[in-house]
Amino acid sequence: MSRTARSDGRLDNGIALVCVVLSLFGLIMPRSSRDRVAASLRTTVFAPVAALQSRAAAVRAAVDTRPETLRASGQVAARLLVVQGVADENATLRQLLGLSARLESGFVPADVVPSGAFDENFTLTLNAGSRSGVQRFFPVVTGAGLVGMIEQVDVARSHAITWAHPDFRVSAMSEDGTAFGIVQPHLGRGAERWLLELRGVRFRAKLDTGAVIVSSGLGATYPRGIVIGTVMAELSTPEKWARTYLVKPSVLPSAIGPVLVLLLPGTPRDLNGVWTTIASTDSAARAVAASGDSIARAAAFDELAARRAALDSVGIDSLRLDSLLRLMPGFPRRDSMPRDTVRRDTVRRDSVLRTSRVPGDER
Amino acid sequence: MSRPSNPSDGASLLRAWLGFALLLVAHFAIGPLLSGPVTPDFLLIAVLFASVRVRPGVAAVIGFASGLLLDALAPMHFGAAAVVCTALAFAASWLKAAFFSENVFVTGLFVFAGKWLFDLALAGVSGRFQTPGLLAHLLIWSPLAALLAGVLAVVLLTMFRSLYRPATR
Repeated sequence: MSRTARSDGRLDNGIALVCVVLSLFGLIMPRSSRDRVAASLRTTVFAPVAALQSRAAAVRAAVDTRPETLRASGQVAARLLVVQGVADENATLRQLLGLSARLESGFVPADVVPSGAFDENFTLTLNAGSRSGVQRFFPVVTGAGLVGMIEQVDVARSHAITWAHPDFRVSAMSEDGTAFGIVQPHLGRGAERWLLELRGVRFRAKLDTGAVIVSSGLGATYPRGIVIGTVMAELSTPEKWARTYLVKPSVLPSAIGPVLVLLLPGTPRDLNGVWTTIASTDSAARAVAASGDSIARAAAFDELAARRAALDSVGIDSLRLDSLLRLMPGFPRRDSMPRDTVRRDTVRRDSVLRTSRVPGDER
Repeated sequence: MSRPSNPSDGASLLRAWLGFALLLVAHFAIGPLLSGPVTPDFLLIAVLFASVRVRPGVAAVIGFASGLLLDALAPMHFGAAAVVCTALAFAASWLKAAFFSENVFVTGLFVFAGKWLFDLALAGVSGRFQTPGLLAHLLIWSPLAALLAGVLAVVLLTMFRSLYRPATR
């Protein structure tokens, strides 16, 4: 028994001695050999433990750098906003460039001078004044459509009322010329304040949601064909003999940047197609780009061709209508009216209703 | 952790290995998450707990393997931890009859002493006497870390009795 215990003790001592010798050998090994042995141990028998330690260290690093990561992501988000703003501005400028090419002449480009009071009085200050040829009642547009009208003119600056201004009025029609009316601010509460109304549309002229509303050219302020907005819904009013539609403006307040002031003597009275052609061509081109197969591509091209044909026919029809109307005896030649006469577009609705109706535009 | 002689010894051995594995995982999974000069040394606690259950030779092997693991993951002084762990485990196994009665607090004191000795011996074997701040480390932070290890040992022995206490014969 004691011999067994003694032999066990010797065995234990021997094992411990071997372990210590091996450890000391590792301690005195050349550095390169030690590194090789350690690396081979890390990648073989101790690999799971090494992976566990690495993962825990990564978690720790993530926790430690969390505030910096949050700060960095906040900075990136802020920079993204700036980049998005620049991209939006570029898109607006490109749109304006396209519009300028279509208008060819008869406009003055202007920047909006920041005043911070747009929400309160719905006016804009532009950095173009009488020196640039800007005069009162000149329309203000962007590539997206109608913004408003010049109200006051200084030498180097001018002030315009926007479509949201309570005094804003514009004679409007549907893009296909089937419905006419007067567009004015909706004067609702909250977000509805930023909508428009198309009032006085004859009862038989029913407009679908999404129908494009453009200026009719009646009156001396706004040429025909400037996009105002799209129909959102029909409003119920006490006037049972006429329809009123809620219109979403084509130019949103946040999108008003660089603008064009149309110089009326140099601007064609009929701008039909300048805005609507751009919009429809763009959407058709997007459809072409989005089409993944030849059938869809062919359908998109057909749609593009159909839209162009429809636009051409609308333009011809409206031209014919204007020509015919002008040939009718007693029809007032609105284009030749002096500018200081009554401006149907910007007077109140009740006074508009008192004025003579357009022949052929029965409400 | 020696060869079981009956079924109850086998179950006890299995629990002992499980307890060792849990402390090993805790050392490498929780340790890196904690910062500061005083961190819990789960691996040394595992070595000491295992050493009191086995013969001195097996304890030396366990200590050698654990030290080799520490050396492989921090190879600046490869072999130093292996030497110290081997010696500590071997000594713990020899001393178990004297210290490891069923008193939990004596065990905690033993772990405290073992951890402090480990730090002192590791500093000596790895030749770090010239390292700035070593004295403060060995006299302030190392005793605190040893105290933490002792407290942890007491907590583990109290909460996980079946895993870490040797079966009473």
